Order: sequence, then C-alpha cells, then structure tokens
Amino acid sequence: MEETIDLRQLFGTLKKRFWLIALITIIAATISGVVSFFVLTPVYEARTQILVNQAKSEQQFYNSSELQTNVQLIQTYNDIIKSPAILGEVTKQLDLDMTPKQLSSQIQVTNSQDSQVAHIVVQDTNARLAVKIANTTASVFKKEVPKIMSIDNVSILAKAQLDEALSPVKPQPFLNIAIAVVVGLMAGVGLAFLLEYLDNTIKNEQDVERVLQLPVIGVISIIKEEELKNLSSASYVSAVRGESRGA
Amino acid sequence: MRSLISHQKPKSPITEQYRTVRTNIQFSNVDHDIKSIMVTSSFQEEGKSTTAANIAVVFAQQKKKVLLVDADLRKPSVQYTFQLQNHLGLTNVLTRQMVFHSAVQATGIDSLDVLTSGPIPPNPAELLGSQAMKDFMEEIYEQYDIVIFDTPPVLPVADAHILANQCHGLVLVIKSGHVEKDSALKAKDILENAKGKLLGVILNQKQHSDDEQYYYYGTK
Repeated sequence: MEETIDLRQLFGTLKKRFWLIALITIIAATISGVVSFFVLTPVYEARTQILVNQAKSEQQFYNSSELQTNVQLIQTYNDIIKSPAILGEVTKQLDLDMTPKQLSSQIQVTNSQDSQVAHIVVQDTNARLAVKIANTTASVFKKEVPKIMSIDNVSILAKAQLDEALSPVKPQPFLNIAIAVVVGLMAGVGLAFLLEYLDNTIKNEQDVERVLQLPVIGVISIIKEEELKNLSSASYVSAVRGESRGA
Repeated sequence: MRSLISHQKPKSPITEQYRTVRTNIQFSNVDHDIKSIMVTSSFQEEGKSTTAANIAVVFAQQKKKVLLVDADLRKPSVQYTFQLQNHLGLTNVLTRQMVFHSAVQATGIDSLDVLTSGPIPPNPAELLGSQAMKDFMEEIYEQYDIVIFDTPPVLPVADAHILANQCHGLVLVIKSGHVEKDSALKAKDILENAKGKLLGVILNQKQHSDDEQYYYYGTK
C-alpha cells in the first residue's frame, strides 16, 4: 500500500519546492543567455551551390539510374572536397592560417534528397571569410575535379554572397535558452524529489505513528508573529473603549 | 518573548490545539490520575518550553491548580515566558536552602503558579535524581492538581532520563520537519528504557498544507 505513488503527494512536493525549481530554471536560462549573447563568438554561414552532372558525349534523355549515380557521386565529392588536395589549394589561395584538416571541420557538403545539386556550407566566425572560403572551395573543386576523376561535370550554380543582413547561425541564443529552461526544469524537479527523498525528518502525524508508534496527542501549528501582534492592538482598543465608557 | 498564546488569545485555533492536547492527556490514563507531566524533546529548540507553558495555561483555564516547574537546570527559560525573576527556584528547594512556599511565584494567571529553576547548579542531573527531588514531588502533589515539568532535551543530556520515571506521564515534543526519524526513535527508546510512561507526541510547528485549513469557529 505504501508503494503506491500518490499523485497529490508528488504535486505537493513540487509545490513545496516551487521556488527552488523556478530559481534553478531562471539561473540556467540566464547563464545560457549570457553565454550565448556575450561569450560565444558568433559563427556565420555561407553556402555555394554546385551542380553535379555527367556531361555525356551522346546526349540522351536522362534515365533514373544515371541520376541515381550522380546523386551517389555526391558522397564521393564530399570526401574529395574535404580532402587536402582541394583544401590545401584553398588555404594556399586564400592565404589562410590553418591546415586543410582544420578547414575541413568548417566545411560541410550536403544535398537534398535525390537532387544533383550539392551545397558547400562553410561556417566561420568571420562572415566575409566564410563567403570567400565557400567560393574558393567551389571554384578549386570545379577546377581540380577533372584531374582527379577525369570527368568534367561540375558547374557552380550560385556563388556565396556576403549579405549585409547576414546573421550568425551559431550561437542561437533563443534555442540555447529554451534548452536551458528545459534542462533547468528537469534538474530542479529532480533536485526537489532528491531533497524530499533525503529529508528523513518527521513531518506529520503519519510519520509519528508509523516510525515511533506513539500516539499523537496534539498538533500545534506555527504560531505566527502577526497573530500575536493583532492581539496587542486589540487589547489597546478595548482599553480605550473602557475609558470612554467610564467618561 | 515566548508566546503564551493560550493565555493571550484563548479563542485562537492554536489555543484550541493546546486544549486538544489537554483532553488527550486527561483521557490517556483512566485508571490513574496523571498528576505530573514531563515535557521534553529530542533536541533543544523544538518548542518544549512554549508547549509546557501553554499546556499549563490550558489546564489552569479548567480551574485546575497548576504548577509549572522549570526543571531545565542548564538553560532555564520559564522566567522569560512569564516575565518573572529567577533568583530563587527549584535548585534552592532541592538543596534545602529554602522551603517550596517561599520559592514559588504567582503568574497573574488564575490558579497557575510557576517555580523557576533558580541559580544554575554544577550538577543538575544529580540534583534531579536526589531524594530531595522525590520529597519535593510528594509535597507538591498534595498542593496541586497537576504539575508540569519543563526539562532539558533527551538526547544531549541525561537529566530527562532521571526525571522520566518520577513523572506520571511524559510528552515528547517533536518539531515538524526538524528531527530525523532515527533521533526521534532514539529519544523514544531512552524514555521507555527509563521506565517513563510516554503518553504520546506533540507535533510542533506544523506547517499547514492548503487542503487542510483551519478556520476560526465562532468569533475571533
């Protein structure tokens, strides 16, 4: 019987520690907000689109298996783009102060499902540099790929542009705050239950009867200060009344 | 100042709670009259003295002749509750320096007298266990309907164990949310080993939850 979870009791625990939970949540949200707004350097993103298409000597209608091949080739291109052969050239051209390996961690190649268009996405703390890297990578890739794969089938669809209103993609303060709120709530609720579990004190009549097996002969509530304060003013009033009655 | 709420606000719900304690004590033993009640707790600051004083008041409100004795010879406090002097008291009586009559003080509350602790002695446990104490108790039982002893806490010092089997009934005050279950159990064991008759527990300073509110019944 004791093992049943009493929902009201759970609720009571949460209510009792409401301020603790709220405080932890607010602190978590504040820290996350401060960190995302002031500490983390914003990261900008630039993307170029490249089209991967097999230029065939005898032009035929597209068939789906060919399309599929091209799509699958994008995986290969992804590796090629991130290979030192391409990125080494990019760093050389842009005079970047990093190794191709470091650069590759900033670059992502993606394509949408069943599409021959691939995106080269570059993230950098400097928006201008992100654009430059994206464009250079695309052009170097376009230039180098015939040498590597002996096919000439890459064209650049859209170059990355430095948008005036380019806003950083990272950090996302509001997402971070939202995550912090959820995590804070969970931590707070967890802590509330932990404290409740660790609180081994006698709190109510049931505790006395169950633990001590003694009868409870009385329960005295907390005597509030105000209750005693009322009283002095009440006796004062009655004293004044007494006087006026006498007069 | 300690609150003597049962005297100052006889109609407050808290006073009503003290009256329930009174009733329960009176009904807890039908065959033998309970003439002395020892109020103690596991630790200090659980509200022993406040409880003892308020119970004394509600008994006095029943027109019983009540004596409140401060048997806490280490940290006496009854004099503060009733705003009395503590130059003379229980220790003077136990060391036979003076007779009980000249040491007892009236409180201004009808039929309630107080015996403060007197000067703090070096050997409180010995004094409480002395033959003088037994004689003193015999003497006061003849003069009062009920005697309430405010004692030191059970766990830190031995004084309460010594008094436990000399009183007719023991009341353990437990401050809600303050005493670990193990400590309370230990206090209970000590009192029972001392052959005291444990009447029950007064759960003190309990916080109300919203779903069990107490309202004033009648006028404030």
